[in-house]
Amino acid sequence: MRAMIVKEFRELRRDHRTVAMLVALPLLMLVIFGYAANFTVDELKVAVVGDQADQVQQLVAEAPQDAPTTLDLTDVDAEAGSGQARDMLRDDEVDVAILSGDASDAAGGRPTVLVDGSNLFAAQSASVLVAQLGDRVDSEILYNPDLETSWVMVPAIIGLILTFIGTIITSIGLVREREAGTLEQLAVMPLSPTSVVLGKISPYFLLACFDMVLVTLLGVWLFGVPFRGSALLFGIGAAIFLFAVLGIGVLISTVSQTTGQAVQVALMTMLPQILLSGMIFPLDAMAAGVRWIGYLLPLTWFVKLSQGVMLRGAGWESMWLPVVVLTAMAVLVFGVAVVRLRRDIAPARGAR
Amino acid sequence: MTTLVHADGVTKRFGAFAAVEDMSLDVHPGEIVGLLGSNGAGKTTLLRVLLGLEAADVGHVEVFGDPPADADRHALGYVPQGLGLSQALSVRQNVDFVAAAFSVRHAPALPTTLAAVADQPVGRIGLGRQRQLAFYCALLHSPRLLVLDEPTSGVDPLARARLWDTIHAQAEAGAGVLVTTHYMQEAEQCDRLVIMSRGRGVARGAVGDITATSRTAVVHTEEWSAAFAALDEAGLPVTLAGRTSRVAGTAPERVRAALDADGVPADVEEEAATLEETMVLIEQSSRHPGPR
Repeated sequence: MRAMIVKEFRELRRDHRTVAMLVALPLLMLVIFGYAANFTVDELKVAVVGDQADQVQQLVAEAPQDAPTTLDLTDVDAEAGSGQARDMLRDDEVDVAILSGDASDAAGGRPTVLVDGSNLFAAQSASVLVAQLGDRVDSEILYNPDLETSWVMVPAIIGLILTFIGTIITSIGLVREREAGTLEQLAVMPLSPTSVVLGKISPYFLLACFDMVLVTLLGVWLFGVPFRGSALLFGIGAAIFLFAVLGIGVLISTVSQTTGQAVQVALMTMLPQILLSGMIFPLDAMAAGVRWIGYLLPLTWFVKLSQGVMLRGAGWESMWLPVVVLTAMAVLVFGVAVVRLRRDIAPARGAR
Repeated sequence: MTTLVHADGVTKRFGAFAAVEDMSLDVHPGEIVGLLGSNGAGKTTLLRVLLGLEAADVGHVEVFGDPPADADRHALGYVPQGLGLSQALSVRQNVDFVAAAFSVRHAPALPTTLAAVADQPVGRIGLGRQRQLAFYCALLHSPRLLVLDEPTSGVDPLARARLWDTIHAQAEAGAGVLVTTHYMQEAEQCDRLVIMSRGRGVARGAVGDITATSRTAVVHTEEWSAAFAALDEAGLPVTLAGRTSRVAGTAPERVRAALDADGVPADVEEEAATLEETMVLIEQSSRHPGPR
């Protein structure tokens, strides 16, 4: 048995990827769960609008700062009304908007607190605060009135499924070609490297598109998740996102010799995306030290986009940033991946 | 144009290791050129350079008169060591893909042995049939140059003979064939051989030209067992062929002296070395350069 143990350790020592998984993964998990695993949003961005905005602002400013949830007053606008308040919530500029009332209206001058329900954990914190105020305020939860978890999760899961197909399935498909030695056979055929690369990737792109439509329709049908925004904006964002994750899959295939290695590396890239993209733990609740990692991941921006478009009906005015960031990521990752794959297929051509 | 492949002074290094060093090689239409050498001699690396899969560090390569990367791939047929077939696809689907890639409209009929398994996944048919399929695919577009990397490894003798019939037929039809092998019987089927050792070309020519440079001392005796023991004890490179001892690259006088020292009566005569013996001698001399 001793010989067996020694042999196993020797094999492990030569398998750098597994050692990396054994060492890096526990560290990664510890750091992520330590700093990121927090469901409680302890600071809410608040806007106050309406005639009495100044008085309400005073109340907000005087709220105790040592309470579990603090309020960050980002905007006070006496000129603005309900429409502008809702716009700010839709565009994810604030978590809560307080509409100061008019003494002559039906509510008898009580302020109305509008809460963004698509930001689930922030909305829950806000609801607790509102409940403490009792009948001194009216409140309304927008976009996700019953604070359904599934409504928030389905748009994010669409991104996760696209990531899964893009990285794991694509990298396996490409590495299988390398394992079977068919990649070099393709290289000596009268096919241009570009047509080999595109011919290889297109089926996965189309399959992922099909899956995206399927999952979106199923999500809407089974869970009653609303689709309030533009399908075109959603489709464009998803296609760009898909290029980024396909790029990651192709990149993984260029550094892996076997399907086992490809799956290993792909899982290592999937895990941080699941944990740090904001789909499970809210980005606002993460320590700043790990939050920036989240902003480097494509899934983070897709989740912002899909939740914004589906739940809040957000349009280009507020969704341009996720689209631009995803485009930059897609161009960079997909570009590098295609260059590397081309070099694998025709090294002599690439070298010239 | 009479030269299909022209390589001159090709060197390919991986880090400090030179897999191919200063190799030159020509392949003309209608001839079968064998690239012979032990495992790790650099045969496959040289083929990869010729096919444009690796770039040469030094030297000049032309295929159909162009650099390998720009060579007309419609005129090239290649059977890699791993066969390059898609295992999950059926025999017919593999053929369809290759035909489409080479723009072949009317593919010749599948040989009967392959037609019988046309709808089975390639991964499920025997290795012999897989090789036959790889050959069929490589010849589908009637290439002018056929490049074969260890084409018959793992194939039974009958199937091997059939594959060689195919290779000869191609050469007779005017195609140039470049084939790597480490089987002597296969090497003997080639019109011309280039023997590689440690990345270098150490001998070239027809089989007869190459073996003519080496002689072997052949020992005939009743006491064959004692003769073998005596020669082995004397440190000579002796091999047994039936009951005859053969000592390649050694003068008959030295052999006779070794037998006399042990008192073994025998007739010793000299004859041309076989290709295998010549290979061993060439390998030895390339490992220990200098007079032998």
